[in-house]
Amino acid sequence: MTMKRFFSTCRIKRIASYFALATIGTVWATHTPAESIAITNATLYTANNEGTLENATLVFEDGVITSINPDTVVADRTIDGTGKIITPGLIGSLNQLGLVEVSAVASSRDAGEEKSDITFNPGLAYNPSSSAIPYNRKGGVTRSVITPYPSESNPFAGLATTVDLTGELDAKVDERAAVIAHLGAQDKGSRAAKLQQIRNALKEQQQKLAKAAEKKKKNKDKGEPSDKEQLLTALLQNNKPLVIEAYRASDLLALIKLKNDFGLNLIIAGANDAVVVKDALAAAQVPIIMSAMDNLPTNFDALHASLSNAAELEKAGVTVILTVGGYDSAHNLYQLRFDAGNAVANGMSREGALRAITANVATIFNINAGELAVGKQADLVMWSGDPFELSSRVEALWIDGSPYDTESRHDKLRNRYTTSSNMPEAYIK
Amino acid sequence: MTFKLSIVLPIVMSAIVAGCSDSEQQHPKAEFTQNPYPSTYTPLPRQTILIKNATILTGVGDRLDNTDLVIENGKIIQVGANLNKDNAQVIDATGKWVTPGIIDVHSHLGAYPNPAVESHEDGNEMTSPNTAAVWVEHSVWPQDPGFNTARAGGITTLQILPGSANLFGGRSVTLKNIPSTTVQGMKHPEAPYGLKMACGENPKRVYGERKQAPSTRMGNMAGFRAAWIDAVEYKYKWDVYESDYKAGKNPTPPERDLQLETLKGVLDGDILIHNHCYKAEEMAMMIDLGKEFGYHAGTFHHGIEAYKVAQLLAENGNCAALWPDWWGFKMEAYDMVQENVAIVDAHENSCAIVHSDSEVTIQRLNQEAGKVMYRANENGFDIKPEHAIRWITTNAAKSLGIDHLTGSLQTGKQADIVIWNQNPFSVYAHAEQVFIDGAKVYDRFDEAYQAISDFMLGQQ
Repeated sequence: MTMKRFFSTCRIKRIASYFALATIGTVWATHTPAESIAITNATLYTANNEGTLENATLVFEDGVITSINPDTVVADRTIDGTGKIITPGLIGSLNQLGLVEVSAVASSRDAGEEKSDITFNPGLAYNPSSSAIPYNRKGGVTRSVITPYPSESNPFAGLATTVDLTGELDAKVDERAAVIAHLGAQDKGSRAAKLQQIRNALKEQQQKLAKAAEKKKKNKDKGEPSDKEQLLTALLQNNKPLVIEAYRASDLLALIKLKNDFGLNLIIAGANDAVVVKDALAAAQVPIIMSAMDNLPTNFDALHASLSNAAELEKAGVTVILTVGGYDSAHNLYQLRFDAGNAVANGMSREGALRAITANVATIFNINAGELAVGKQADLVMWSGDPFELSSRVEALWIDGSPYDTESRHDKLRNRYTTSSNMPEAYIK
Repeated sequence: MTFKLSIVLPIVMSAIVAGCSDSEQQHPKAEFTQNPYPSTYTPLPRQTILIKNATILTGVGDRLDNTDLVIENGKIIQVGANLNKDNAQVIDATGKWVTPGIIDVHSHLGAYPNPAVESHEDGNEMTSPNTAAVWVEHSVWPQDPGFNTARAGGITTLQILPGSANLFGGRSVTLKNIPSTTVQGMKHPEAPYGLKMACGENPKRVYGERKQAPSTRMGNMAGFRAAWIDAVEYKYKWDVYESDYKAGKNPTPPERDLQLETLKGVLDGDILIHNHCYKAEEMAMMIDLGKEFGYHAGTFHHGIEAYKVAQLLAENGNCAALWPDWWGFKMEAYDMVQENVAIVDAHENSCAIVHSDSEVTIQRLNQEAGKVMYRANENGFDIKPEHAIRWITTNAAKSLGIDHLTGSLQTGKQADIVIWNQNPFSVYAHAEQVFIDGAKVYDRFDEAYQAISDFMLGQQ
């Protein structure tokens, strides 16, 4: 497969090799505290139509945002947010966080199966103890939509799972958040066959449903449909997102047609050529998940990759989600905010870039978070300054209202090797 | 695999030699060019330029506010306050920052170009663990669109390295980042060659999977040592030939060997080592390997664990070219710390470098260095922009053996310069104008100075 950006294996000079290891996962948080907390005097970047609220107060309790700028602040505890910026927790997408500890170590990879199909559910293997999870909290990431590697034989790769970054062993996951598929440049065979396979699968299921409806009338119910059939039905009934990775303009148009023919809840990922067909995408209301940093023609599907694409799509009225691309994007997910900053540097609006890594992801994948609004889960990040800027950092972070720190084994290693001692470093813990 | 090439020498046997009856006359000396693919680089059209009122990071530790800089004949001729220069084009840089041209010591542009299709996989001669005979300049496709996007990010000089599949990957080449239809047209006329070596997982995996040596780290070391033993012997043969010839004898020249020629170049001090090496214990081993055979272990690239041996690297004069945050893709990349560069940098006589190894991040080495600076400052360091800029300018130039020419904004240095819209260590920073040898090669606001690859021209 040459699905390069979001699902790739390493290039030849960085090829992989594969052994075992134990992971060190640390859990810091207690579960949702019952106390109510008010953050006062802060600047809130709401990621919704409220925009930016200066000198604002946000109260949360039982894991949920309960009020914003109330007339009277009633809370068990108050945190002074003077000079701080609060955003929703950032949400990554299309990576293998918690599914791959070290990508070159086969025994630490659970994101792919040789003959996976639409029913493959890697979320069952989600490991909240992965060392990448606390690391990515350094970037203010509180949730991610994790996905399978592409299938070698099937356009459908399997199911996406939404996970939180609490690191708790009972971390909340939604294992069947979306169906993932791929269409585009191939090492072998033709993309045409892949498109046919997708269409045929949907068409067959459509026919089955019609027949079943017929039989139901005649009281001849066939019984429980298979998992595959249920998933295809969910797609056809527009109640499960279908994310298809595709890049070339002609493929994007073919997918818009697919959406219209079958009434799908379609999202396109990758989409370097999206700018070429941006008006069609906007009209068909197809959201785009993309890397802000793609600007090279990695193959003939990517001749329109540009740093200004996110801005152009935003201006055309396309819903944009930004995510970290490249191989090992799970380990680099903490950079999501920098990608958003680069999108702003190349013309995207600040609010649009924030929504692209919070509210837009939440909306599309049915996560009740991603914005600062009453009733949303209290996934909050307190920043020392501009969340997109290299110089700022996470000062505090909450997931479902519980505080989590950002310390990872990387910090332990740094501390160990910057502490002087007359004994070997191994004694410094 | 060894290429035994018979010598093609300008040996002209004089007619006299055959019929000579008294003292034997010396044959012409066996000599061959050390520079068979010479640089044809010439600077692009340039003029005298006066940059006014900039915030200048010199690359050698200074930050100069409200300062002017004069470029003439491709050189920096003056840096100071309130300068004037007759007939100069004046650039008002009020509010802007000026740095040396950015240097990336680790790139595969042109050798692994975009589009990254099978036909373009020219960066790794994965047919033998020792391919010291190959020269990456013979793979470089000058039309790689990545050269242009790197230039827009302020990259003026870059080293192209072969890949890391082999113990000895081949010769590197240092390029000036100007558009050209030939590699020779980009080739830095004065930079020494480098030799790519690779420790660790890659060579042992690639060859181990083929059931050949090396399949272990000790196999890697045995492979290095065997090659250097051959190289020392090869050098000895040529040294004997040289001295015998000098003594008036008529020695038979040793047979030329492309592979050993490169290794001999290292032993002679003409070729610099660039060693892909992640782990602390392996870097220590490679330093000793150099001492065993009489060469300097050079620059360690990637060095995820360089912070564990920072003192050793500084004591031995080894540069370490590192990422700010890549990790987790291999076991040898598991122990990353975001302060790696800063920890290496903190030792006296250190040479810390931020590199890309990526056609993506080469476009933003300023941001890559910025990440290190800010994360380190959150954890006990106090690094200023005027210091951090060294990691992508002066120290990089030192690693490539060109710090006497470029990498700093000092009088007499080549005018490789970037004008930034603001502090370059910001996510919002853009290179606005880029100069190489005093010639403008990129302008963010003028399409006349935005080169486009043949490959991209006319694409729909």
